[in-house]
Amino acid sequence: MIRSLLVGLALVAPVAFAQVPGGNEVRTATLANGMQIIVWPDHDIPNVALYNWVHVGSRNEAPGITGLAHFFEHMMFNGTSTRAPGEFDQILEANGARNNAFTSDDVTVYQDWFPRSALETVFELEADRLQNLSFDPKVVESERNVVHSERRLRVDDSHQGRLQEQVQATAFVAHPYAIPTIGWPSDILSWTIDDLKKFFSTYYAPNNCTLVLVGDVEPDKAIALARKYFEPIPKQEPPRPVKTEEPEQLGERRVAVNADAQTPLVQFAYHGISGKDPRRPALDLLTRVLTDGDASRLHRALVEEQKLAISADSYFTAGFDPGLVWFFLSLPADGDAKQAEAEFTRQVERLIEQGVTKDELARARSQALADFWRGLATIDGKAQALGTFEVLQGGHKKLFDEPRAYEAVTQQDIQKLAAELLRSTNRTVGVLKSPPPPNEAQTQSGGAK
Amino acid sequence: MNRLRRFVVIAATVCSLAAPAAFAASAVKTPDFERVKLANGATLLLMERHDVPLISFTAVIRGGALTDPTDRLGTASLLASLLEKGAGNRDANTFAETVASVGGSIETGASTESISVGGSFLARDQKLMVELLADVLQRPRLEQEQFETLRDRSIEFIRAEKDSDRSALTPIYGAASLFGAHPYGRSVGGSEASLAAIKHADVRQYYDDHVGADRVIIAVAGDFKTAQLKTLLSSAFANWRKAGKSLPVVGKQAEVTARRVLLVDAPDAVQSYFWCGNVGVARSDPRRASLDIVNTLFGGRFTSMLNTELRIRSGLSYGANSSFDRMTQGGSWELGSFTRTEKTIEAIDLALATLDKLHSGSIDAAQLESAKSYVLGQYPLALETGSQWAYQLATLEFYGLDRSYIDDYGNKLAAVSLEDAKRVIDEVIPTSQQLVLVVIGKAEAIRDGLRKYGPLTEVKLSDPEFQAKP
Repeated sequence: MIRSLLVGLALVAPVAFAQVPGGNEVRTATLANGMQIIVWPDHDIPNVALYNWVHVGSRNEAPGITGLAHFFEHMMFNGTSTRAPGEFDQILEANGARNNAFTSDDVTVYQDWFPRSALETVFELEADRLQNLSFDPKVVESERNVVHSERRLRVDDSHQGRLQEQVQATAFVAHPYAIPTIGWPSDILSWTIDDLKKFFSTYYAPNNCTLVLVGDVEPDKAIALARKYFEPIPKQEPPRPVKTEEPEQLGERRVAVNADAQTPLVQFAYHGISGKDPRRPALDLLTRVLTDGDASRLHRALVEEQKLAISADSYFTAGFDPGLVWFFLSLPADGDAKQAEAEFTRQVERLIEQGVTKDELARARSQALADFWRGLATIDGKAQALGTFEVLQGGHKKLFDEPRAYEAVTQQDIQKLAAELLRSTNRTVGVLKSPPPPNEAQTQSGGAK
Repeated sequence: MNRLRRFVVIAATVCSLAAPAAFAASAVKTPDFERVKLANGATLLLMERHDVPLISFTAVIRGGALTDPTDRLGTASLLASLLEKGAGNRDANTFAETVASVGGSIETGASTESISVGGSFLARDQKLMVELLADVLQRPRLEQEQFETLRDRSIEFIRAEKDSDRSALTPIYGAASLFGAHPYGRSVGGSEASLAAIKHADVRQYYDDHVGADRVIIAVAGDFKTAQLKTLLSSAFANWRKAGKSLPVVGKQAEVTARRVLLVDAPDAVQSYFWCGNVGVARSDPRRASLDIVNTLFGGRFTSMLNTELRIRSGLSYGANSSFDRMTQGGSWELGSFTRTEKTIEAIDLALATLDKLHSGSIDAAQLESAKSYVLGQYPLALETGSQWAYQLATLEFYGLDRSYIDDYGNKLAAVSLEDAKRVIDEVIPTSQQLVLVVIGKAEAIRDGLRKYGPLTEVKLSDPEFQAKP
């Protein structure tokens, strides 16, 4: 412990260990019905961020109801037995509040940002929709079209979205992480009111929620309001756990998408880790060495030096179950996908064989720590971080150990993890490009280019 | 993509309607800051904030796409990208490694009226931060090889954008069509064709002519001691030369009086992405509070008239919104949405009918109060971090505004009456007949239907220009 502290000081300076300001003021409570509440007061601005983390995502779906978790994200704004469709937003906005939500493979999260004066109103409305959601058939049909429009925007009219959906569906053969969160079009068009009701009663239970508040609130008051509005909602039978584990991948998988593309795309998805895996900081540092900033390996090799790609990015998912480590290459218009893939693979193999340098590790760690502070500069960033740690990464207290966890990562840890995860047999490769024109041979012999 | 997703490891793959643009204003008061004007014209703004151990800065250089040579649009944008590709005694690689090794960030970019360099560093690295910023602005290397790489990549980026979210492209075609040859019509990043025409010498010339101490505003906010940072910045910038040329004066573009249509053919599109706009107001317009209220009600929040019609009631679209682009002179006021190809005309008709409804006096007292609460309640969220304050200070200085622009906004919002709202709708918001309409979509399916809106010009999404040839 002491040793790693000293090493940390030498590399990154004392700030890395500065106590997160106000971190010791975080208060938690568990209601009688099992709902978790976490409050972090921060009085910088007179506003509050509320995140209600519902532990349900596309991971909990099956063929026929894909996209349903995300559809709920839309339905939760659309009326209850006590309030007509639209009233939720009208009341919130008239009180100075804005709201939104997002859905992932693992969770559905409802967010409100509001002036402190709206605190009780927000509690009342959030509890009402958790308890009394209604399913007006007309509203369901209209919202079905809205979601389909969202799908066209993000997937059907976006080449990155279209390819990523195919790669993800190919990477998993058993685990429901294969399901696209937005849903397959035929399911979007055909799920029924009964499907909705069953899904709601299964997953929208107080014991399946974690409520996070950050901002200009007194913890005692917030917890008292939670008791007043949420505690009367009855606890329910916990949902059936997802038990399916993805079997080990035994060889590289490939998927091709033909599209009228000006710029070809190549994506790589390797099976990775879950949120609770202690190697998460090491994986973050590993991907930063490869793609974070102009000094990163893949950017330098593929984009700057060899000009095989115009961008090289990555991110990884680490939720309830092991997710994917993604790499995205965008190629120039005349780019050679085979060559770009070969160079990408060469770079990854070099890292597995030779590891990362001391300087690279120090750089990635500095970037990670600076981003940590940037993320905690807003009440919104704090609410997102607290919830992510509490729900997916082994408890909110781990947030405050994060700098230390990054300090502990060694060059050997990164090399070992790269060798384990970034094997070709553990990946799915996706390529999107224009199909060759039927008269390609003629065009070439005619010298059109 | 990287930075956004790091600590927030969850992949937020699907979200509801994007946040309405954050408007100005509230009970927030501008914290004290110090303004220093150097003899060479450089302006420094310093605001201490000690909540997290970071220092953020925004440096703004007047000029931007306004000062692009007309046959080489995108020059300012290329120069902005080139600034961080090696500066002072560091080549591009060393520069990138230096920034990364301390967890810093430096990002450069151009807009219609300026070039900006923004970033943040851990508080302990303030000396290095000043050194790097001074190098980027005063001693960029502007090397030929880096220039060529960047230019070629910028062309590819435009192609890649045309393969992704088309709703992000409509404002570029919209501005080009609405403003024509006026500088506000320029695509800031240039076009595939204009970028290809830019030579290394053009970028060097642009730097000599349009970057210098008399053009720069440097705003810094964060965890520092003002006296110490002021000394560091003053000595780093005191000896910088002025820009070689004077800043051009831009006049106001005349408003569009008769509707016309630009159709951008994307043969593979399954949705149509549409945009309507006209010339709006300047940043300094005194009707700001009334206009923000009106726009919030019309297309600036989830329950706005537009989103209610196009999304909530009809399910035609995932979202619809409207906004002002406020610049030194009148920028655009615009609305935008999208829908599946078969519903294109129905959705545009509905958007225009909703605009007519606004003009026929549909706003009532309850809505007015709701919009006031909303704008006021959301305002502090745009004034929370050092990086937001650095941006706000630079913006005030850039447009010649003082702190009352922020501090008095709450009172001005509170004072807006129904009559004020009605008056600015009449004076500023175009009617449904006075618009430029831009649609990106499958032309063969929608071309005939669009003709009823006015004279139609058609281009292809794959054309290497955003501006339609006359």
